[in-house]
Amino acid sequence: SKECLNMDLSERGLTAGKLVDMKWKLGVAVCSDECKSLNSPFVAMTLKVADASGKISTHTFELTIPQFQNFSEQMKDMAARMEMI
Amino acid sequence: MAAHCDFSSLELLMKASSKEKVVKVCNDVYVMGSSQSDGLLSSVCESLGTRPNETKKMIESLSSVLKTIIFHGYTEPQEIQSLFPKDFHKNLRDLITKIALDNMNTWKTHSISTQVSLPRLVDFDWRLDTKMASDSISRTSVPTCILQMKVQENQTDVKTTPENHNINVELSKETLDTMLDGLSKIRDQLSSVARR
Repeated sequence: SKECLNMDLSERGLTAGKLVDMKWKLGVAVCSDECKSLNSPFVAMTLKVADASGKISTHTFELTIPQFQNFSEQMKDMAARMEMI
Repeated sequence: MAAHCDFSSLELLMKASSKEKVVKVCNDVYVMGSSQSDGLLSSVCESLGTRPNETKKMIESLSSVLKTIIFHGYTEPQEIQSLFPKDFHKNLRDLITKIALDNMNTWKTHSISTQVSLPRLVDFDWRLDTKMASDSISRTSVPTCILQMKVQENQTDVKTTPENHNINVELSKETLDTMLDGLSKIRDQLSSVARR
């Protein structure tokens, strides 16, 4: 969603970790047990996040193409706003 | 798959009071059938006004036929019609054929959304902050982005909805720019995949 987060991290005793690395893969689902012919692209990403103590955790997940495009647009938007600060 | 279908049980669909009811039953069977939802049997019985015993067999057969059609991705009515026995009720056969063709894309999309997958990103939020001071610098003005991504894990227990977990990351301008480079490479690759 485009709404700004209303989370108070300090209240929850959580800090956001620092993004250390982002790996990605563009895949195409060829077929599945339910569809002989899919040709459905998807993006898979692995994010490496370092917490305050330096411990690194990894998170891997998939995005559909519309999700990826939305994510990509919003990251661009955010970078543009950062320029203005 | 369709060869093992008991086509005579499909005739229960004739009890539907309208074509719309048949459409609803087909949709429920394909969409809810894949998740083995408990509500499917009662929903179909309600739509047709039939008893659970006779309806169970019909649901199994209909599910088998619809799955075969979607698996092969048939686009021609004749391809679907040839699945049915020659003496099968022609109007019902043609109705099921039409419903399957009309819903092909929707059902395929549903299938994709429930197929084997890594955990899925379901939502993300972001906030732009300015760091004003820290224990090492008394006055500063550094913009940072806080990004929260909500990821839905794969289901481990068939009866419970899978858990969402949050990934909270802080991105400096430099990190964000590097990420944008990566994202634009993905976009380039996507356009070349789309062109093939």
